[in-house]
Amino acid sequence: MQREPYDVNLFRPRRGYMTGEVRIILAVLLGWGAVTFGFQILLRLLARNPAGEGFFTDFTFLSFPWHFWFTAQFLPLWFIILCIMFNVYIDRHAEHHSRKRERSHD
Amino acid sequence: MTDAGVNFIPLLIVAATLASFIVSGVRARSREASDYGFGGRYIGRLGGGAAIASNWMSAASFLGMGGLLYLQGYYALAYVIGWTGGYVLLLVLMASQIRRFGKYTAPDFVGDRYASPGARLVSAAISITISVIYCTAQFKGIGMLFAWLFGTSYPNGVILGAVVAVSYVIISGILGVARNQQLQYAVLIVSFILPLMLLAHRLGYFWALPQFGYGVAIDDLAREFGIDFTAPFASGSLFEWLALCFTLMVGTAGLPHVLSRFYVVPNNRDARWSLVWGLFFIALIYWSAPAYAVFARLLEARGGMVPPPYAAEKMADIIVIKTAVMGGLPSWMIGILAAGATSAAFFTVAGLLLTGAASLSHDIYYRLINPRASETSKMAIAKGAVVALAAVVLIIALHPPGLIAEITAVAFALAGNTIFPAFLLGIWWGRANRHGVITGMLTGVLITFATPLFGKFVPVVAELFPLTSSAFIGAPIVIGIMIAVSLLTPPPPEEVRRFLAEQVHGHMEAE
Repeated sequence: MQREPYDVNLFRPRRGYMTGEVRIILAVLLGWGAVTFGFQILLRLLARNPAGEGFFTDFTFLSFPWHFWFTAQFLPLWFIILCIMFNVYIDRHAEHHSRKRERSHD
Repeated sequence: MTDAGVNFIPLLIVAATLASFIVSGVRARSREASDYGFGGRYIGRLGGGAAIASNWMSAASFLGMGGLLYLQGYYALAYVIGWTGGYVLLLVLMASQIRRFGKYTAPDFVGDRYASPGARLVSAAISITISVIYCTAQFKGIGMLFAWLFGTSYPNGVILGAVVAVSYVIISGILGVARNQQLQYAVLIVSFILPLMLLAHRLGYFWALPQFGYGVAIDDLAREFGIDFTAPFASGSLFEWLALCFTLMVGTAGLPHVLSRFYVVPNNRDARWSLVWGLFFIALIYWSAPAYAVFARLLEARGGMVPPPYAAEKMADIIVIKTAVMGGLPSWMIGILAAGATSAAFFTVAGLLLTGAASLSHDIYYRLINPRASETSKMAIAKGAVVALAAVVLIIALHPPGLIAEITAVAFALAGNTIFPAFLLGIWWGRANRHGVITGMLTGVLITFATPLFGKFVPVVAELFPLTSSAFIGAPIVIGIMIAVSLLTPPPPEEVRRFLAEQVHGHMEAE
């Protein structure tokens, strides 16, 4: 397909910096969605009764029921981890590109 | 509330705390001529994070979340997850790009990106509506706190609280106070966690890190009294949980007063890292809120006075304070807790009313009605708008339509159905145009209020778009409509598309 000169599209990133940036964004979003929503769906699928008691609620961890610990304590921590990972990769990506750009200016 | 009489010591502490913010604000102002607020001075990544967190903390975080967890147990964790997970969306999809775009209020961004006064007007009206709904929740919190402090009824409390809050907003508007957000955050976090530590200590649980030590209390609750706090889907279905959680996430990433927070630090890299600190500071409170709820259940059960559901719902929004009272904490400690809650509500009210008023006077009056208006008349309009908005909020808050966190969630649903799609496509799809965004935002408004409007006649509407959780299905629909309408109409002006491609996405900022 013919691209317009100023085409911006998350799913067809522009060449150069944006391609790598979008790759990092989609990876983080995958980690965000799969763990958050995936766990709740799994919790429901593995439940014995409508209240949701089942596989995950049988364990305890740090004296919490495992599922409660995962949602109440781990997920906010997971979001912080995701944000840190995003920043580290974007920092690295930006540095890589600014170096490349400086060389091309030489 | 059943407590009769004025709670003197807590009242004194609340008054002293508010006064100290005014004093510190005035002193800081005389020390530095430059105004605080957006990029007033460099405060570092940690300080930027504290600013983000204190800007975020409202009565919904401080009181409402504890109340809902108390009522609904595991189900209410959707609030915890929604309000933290939204920051991931905000960081990866919006933060850097909004900074590069250079417009950071919702009407400014939408108006400029879509080159349309009409789109600006719609987004301004939506932003003001969001402010009013959000403020209503704050007023409910303030009303319940004041009713408790003064030992009076809720209507008296909310009227009294509204008068004090509006005076505070006007004083801070005139003096420019209460912008020292690191100090604000310190007050909020200490006043939330210190009483919790003492409670845990009194009840004999691990007190040093009470937010991670209440697991045994959950166990005791189940073993001693047969109360299961953690049954995953006892209070709502999987769909309801996911819908609520997702709505709060996209709402977080679309809330006007949150979007404008990336300007406290001077460059993009620091802005991104302060968001991480901000999220950590927010999580500190959100890890703790469930502990209050569990302790409340436990103290009630041990005291042999488990209230019937109707009574429980009535006092849920002040359960955090009630827990401290039931736990027999000294009244100065309860005062500190009440002071934190009041501060959270007041800061949020101040921010929302001032933003809402600015939007009325700038985006609507100046841009659309009278472009030749003088600064003086703009100021007069803004001041009048603060009082007018507060009056509207007060009228709604006299008969609060729900729990604090539920009312707040409606504001998030509206933001998620309108502002979030407008920003998302505005940043990531150059072809999105004004026809698309206006149709999309209006559809979003309709979807948000679909349940009260049509829910009675068409039951399926109430099932698909619950009032607090409509963005789960709503936001994708709005995005779809924006894409479809944009493709059927001419593309936006070339200069906008070029700016987006070259400055927002092509440009390699020296990060």
